[in-house]
Amino acid sequence: MERTVTVVPEDGLHARPASQFVETANEFDADVQLGRADEDDLVPAASMLAVTGLGVGHDESVRLVAEGDDAEAALDALEDILSTPEAKQ
Amino acid sequence: MTERTLSGIGVTPLSGVGTVVWYRPDADLPEPPAPEDVDAEAELARFEDARAAAEDELEAERERTAERVGEEEAAVFDAHVQFLNDPQITDGVTDAIEGGLPAEHAVQETFSEFVEQFENMGGRMGERADDLRDVRDRLVRVLADGERVDLSSLPEGSVVVAERLTPSDTAQLDPERVAGFVTVTGGRTSHAAIFARSLALPAIVGVGEELQSVEDGTEVVVDGESGDLVVDPTDERKEAAAAAADVDVRHESVETADGVDIEVAANIGTLADLGPAVDRGADGVGLFRTEFLFLDRESPPDEDEQYEAYVEALESFDGGRVVVRTLDIGGDKPVPYLDLPDEENPFLGERGIRRSLGPDADLFETQVRALLRAAASADGANLSVMLPLVSTVEELRAGRERFESVAADLDAEGVANELPEFGIMVETPAAAFMADQFAPHVDFFSIGTNDLAQYVMAAERGNERVSELGDYRQPAVLRAIDATVSATEGEDCWVGMCGEMAGDPALTELLVGLGLGELSMSAVTVPQVKAAVAETDTADARELAERVLQADTKAEVTEILTLDQ
Repeated sequence: MERTVTVVPEDGLHARPASQFVETANEFDADVQLGRADEDDLVPAASMLAVTGLGVGHDESVRLVAEGDDAEAALDALEDILSTPEAKQ
Repeated sequence: MTERTLSGIGVTPLSGVGTVVWYRPDADLPEPPAPEDVDAEAELARFEDARAAAEDELEAERERTAERVGEEEAAVFDAHVQFLNDPQITDGVTDAIEGGLPAEHAVQETFSEFVEQFENMGGRMGERADDLRDVRDRLVRVLADGERVDLSSLPEGSVVVAERLTPSDTAQLDPERVAGFVTVTGGRTSHAAIFARSLALPAIVGVGEELQSVEDGTEVVVDGESGDLVVDPTDERKEAAAAAADVDVRHESVETADGVDIEVAANIGTLADLGPAVDRGADGVGLFRTEFLFLDRESPPDEDEQYEAYVEALESFDGGRVVVRTLDIGGDKPVPYLDLPDEENPFLGERGIRRSLGPDADLFETQVRALLRAAASADGANLSVMLPLVSTVEELRAGRERFESVAADLDAEGVANELPEFGIMVETPAAAFMADQFAPHVDFFSIGTNDLAQYVMAAERGNERVSELGDYRQPAVLRAIDATVSATEGEDCWVGMCGEMAGDPALTELLVGLGLGELSMSAVTVPQVKAAVAETDTADARELAERVLQADTKAEVTEILTLDQ
């Protein structure tokens, strides 16, 4: 299962949005991977190091790939974070 | 074994004998043992335990920060937890341990790779590198803990020796078991020094790198008066130190050899300081730092709580004066419920009376109400109040008017109150220059020498690089004191002194000679200063003061004072 999403938060995938993203990815059983939309390389969404290491900024597009029972729910939750301007409290 | 002596800065006039325990909280990792000597399974278990402990710490810090500062700032700890549990990190550490490294070396190595990676990416990634370093240091510290000296359970008679001691270090020290402490760095007004005085512990600071040559388990004498650390002392030396530890406490008030009364009082922060003040024979309180009633809590103390604190202080002394300084809060003393500005230089910013007449007007009013009521209590006639950091006559007038208008409010409410004796702290050069203009408006001055020295010499307190400049033996500081006292001639205005200088028995004669009638200090030095007062003859003291005021350097001041003894 795969989806392409534009990163809305001002900070990009950094600081709090990144933190929330990784936390959420860890809540699901599905194995989620993440990469830039225009590149083939994928990194584990459950790794803070890997996610912040991508250095994805505001308005860039990312590709989310999920496999597992709750893959769809995981993608929904992660897409929600990436498309919310201010990270939720 | 022969005796040898190292010298530093003595910060308490007390001596102690004990055994050296080195405290090295941030030592570098030792060389790792050979891979075949590492028990990988045991190291993996240590790593897991450390990771769990570090996570607990981070959660606790997250909560505290969210409460004190805000959610936004607390979020960084979430990121730290994620780095801590990151699969790339845990896998890396596990591999390194299995490759034959002890847990702390494995952590060091694994994190360092990622730190370097992030640093090379530059920009905002640099911040992540700082986060990673933080997490790494935390893990290494937790891992090292088992082998680190536990300050809270030292053997009886330990002399703690360290590079420096932080507030969290000293908070753990059990004064009952510690015979003293000695540090490589630090000055008279460093945190460790103030802590030693408040607990009456023999202590020497600023010994320098030479201290590293004193090994764990060595017997030493800590002479907190001279600043001498005697290593491998002779039996005679030890006996002399033990004898010196017995100080003669005088509970009665003291006069000079020629019969002039000098009030010797204690500085207190919280009510817990009252006991030691009474025990050491203080006549009263010369400086009640009321901001301590406001620190380390979620909301300010209300009027009744403050009233009770002031009354308790008054009741602790049999007719002794209690001088309460109104709130002295500023950017250097964080208070969670106050919106303190982030200032470039808090010592020159909005603090003391500046806040009480400005953003903290409501807090000030509550304090003034409590003080006016305390002045009408049974021992209320002994209450005095003073305003901190006054630099203009307008501030003094405005502060005084607040007391008068709040007294009128209390009268209208039918609440018993009295206007207490009223004074100001002389801490700024402005107050010292204008002392003749201030004197007619007040009952007393109290010279705060720590701040006065800092402001007169433009030398930051606690900054070791300028500690020589900020010393109260500098001629300019002595002249500021002399100018203040001289300005009260012919006025009905007494002059006291609070601050470290007042508690230095080597200066007592000089201070009496300069005309100070009250000296207030950390409770620990009260007996020594009382003894010094009793030996002083005021005519000789005045002659000494005149000679000292002619000195052109601090070295000359020190020389005159040394020859005089």
